[in-house]
Amino acid sequence: MADTPRVVFAGLASCFGCQINITNIEEHLMDVLGQVDLKYWQLTSSDPMPTDFDVAVIEGAVTTEAAKESVQALREGADAVITIGACAATSGIPGMSTEDHAADMDAVYGDKVPYVVADGAITPMAVKDVISVDFEVPCCPIDPYDFVEVLQHALYGSNIYRRSSTLCGECKNNERGCFYGRNTLCLGLVTRSGCGARCPNLGRPCNGCAGLSPDANVAQARRVADRAGVGAAALDSALRIFNQPIADEEVS
Amino acid sequence: MTRKSIDVEHLARIEGHGDIHLEIQDGTVTRCEFSVTEAARLFESMVRGRPFQDVPYIASRVCGICSASHTLTDILAIEDIFGVTVTERTRAIRELLVYGSFLQNHATHLFVFAAPDFLGHKSVFPLEEADPATFQNALALKGLGNELCTKIGGRSIHPITAVVGGFTSEVSSDEYLRLADQLEQMIDFALASVDLFDGFGATDIQTEGDMLAMVEEGAYPVIGSDQALFVRSGIRFAAHDYQDHIEEYAVGHSAAYLARERSQNRPYMACALSRVNASWDNLTEPARFAAAKAGLRPPELNPFANNVAQAVEVVDALVRCAAVCRKLATNGYEGSSEPVAFQVRAGKGVGFTEAPRGALFHELELDESGHVITANIITPTSQNIANVEADMRLLAQKLADEGAAADTIRLEVEKLVRAYDPCLSCSVH
Repeated sequence: MADTPRVVFAGLASCFGCQINITNIEEHLMDVLGQVDLKYWQLTSSDPMPTDFDVAVIEGAVTTEAAKESVQALREGADAVITIGACAATSGIPGMSTEDHAADMDAVYGDKVPYVVADGAITPMAVKDVISVDFEVPCCPIDPYDFVEVLQHALYGSNIYRRSSTLCGECKNNERGCFYGRNTLCLGLVTRSGCGARCPNLGRPCNGCAGLSPDANVAQARRVADRAGVGAAALDSALRIFNQPIADEEVS
Repeated sequence: MTRKSIDVEHLARIEGHGDIHLEIQDGTVTRCEFSVTEAARLFESMVRGRPFQDVPYIASRVCGICSASHTLTDILAIEDIFGVTVTERTRAIRELLVYGSFLQNHATHLFVFAAPDFLGHKSVFPLEEADPATFQNALALKGLGNELCTKIGGRSIHPITAVVGGFTSEVSSDEYLRLADQLEQMIDFALASVDLFDGFGATDIQTEGDMLAMVEEGAYPVIGSDQALFVRSGIRFAAHDYQDHIEEYAVGHSAAYLARERSQNRPYMACALSRVNASWDNLTEPARFAAAKAGLRPPELNPFANNVAQAVEVVDALVRCAAVCRKLATNGYEGSSEPVAFQVRAGKGVGFTEAPRGALFHELELDESGHVITANIITPTSQNIANVEADMRLLAQKLADEGAAADTIRLEVEKLVRAYDPCLSCSVH
């Protein structure tokens, strides 16, 4: 890498909230940005996208041929690729429209699909399904401090792996009780830990935005959901908000 | 024959992806497009079949800046169907959440997106050296918006605590008092910001479009009223009847639907300037005085004045929210914010709020088990695009008549589009 790492930001199909959230750590923003040479950030600057850089930060799902080409170009140019947020990691919310993308398109636009939408539209994909990704900042939205930590790893190296455990264990430490005793579905059973169980802590069940934990036992979670009276079907449906459908053979 | 083409691919310092295409032939503007190229995520179809509890949570993801507005507007649509009446305290806290997102949005738009145009910078970052005090205060103002949203909603965007019927969690009285102090301390900087943006000046154009805003007798409403007013034509309607008055239509060059007032086919603005024009008399006194000092009084038809209108709304929001926080701290509102009980039932409902960027409508149809049959979302930006294009044409023609160079026209048109504070991810959704 050059002396000061050169960083570019790219936004694909998303709410832009993860990039916004990075600007939301005002008191540290300049310290964070001071470590890097910010080459391109459309959200904040009218400087054009360069061809030479070291780190590419990508928010959003890939939903067009053009987006596919642009992430491929980012991969070519970057030593390290960081994705931020659920849209990039799993195709997230845009990924809810993968089962019948054409029908969903039809329901919104009917026979008047604008050419800017129709040209090159593809079924939503996670960034890692298009290119290899080095680092991932999870959740919807990301916790900006997680981004700072991951950026450090990308800039200076680290041999620390992300935790693979599920949220349930993390949540129990908070001693706030369990939603399953209250006839309420919660995805903490199968979702990757790391957020500190922020939502359950504030009285909302986990919606699974951090993605499935590699340790998740989905088959058992379905049984728990059935036994608790909320139903395995409700668990499957809720999982679809941030995760692609899970094939039956993977959970049996 | 002379021909000038002005093309801006991927306009910077706005939320989302959009291009500008202008053509001027022999001094006449012949093409004028604001092409929204943002990816279509198809929210209205992805929520079909989902249980109502999921829907505000998903709708929040329409936009990272005004997520609080999308969450609450969706909740209002659901409550409209179920016939839920929330407590006075819940209403007050919801207002805080909307205003928190006003502070975030307006501070971001004014200082990060708009100000660099007027200061000759490409981004906000050079301001750190050029004017460190303003830079720090601007970040602090934006930070205060985040703080308010975090205290009320559980994090700075995509609120966690707001649900049908109330809130799942609330901060302590001490926290409300601390917030009130912080809000009051920011008022001086907000007043100075009104002067700052007024001082930037603006090219004199007068929009021909109408202006739409939520209205309520004696109030400057952002949530809680179901009445909307087209300010110039005087057409007033209930949110339920929005389809009778707002016509959405598709054009090839925009992934977002456009909108116009139905009876006159007239484009319109839905933004801070619309609200100031509709309810100027009901701004809090410091905000009204600041507006008067900046020469912002109804009818103000220059779209560039939306920047000053946002600065005035920052003053207004700080004053209002400080008072609401103090009243919450002393239990001055009736009831608790714990979600009230309700019965799930089938029906159609409309939610209507003033998002930071303008009027926002969510319509939902639920079946008897509370699952979504259909959804429709009309965001402020999709309502503004037709008027942005009309104003771009006016402005470019005026500058062409004055013999301006292509670079000047390009910069002024970019400034105009930014003054509308467009959110393209919202507009396409």
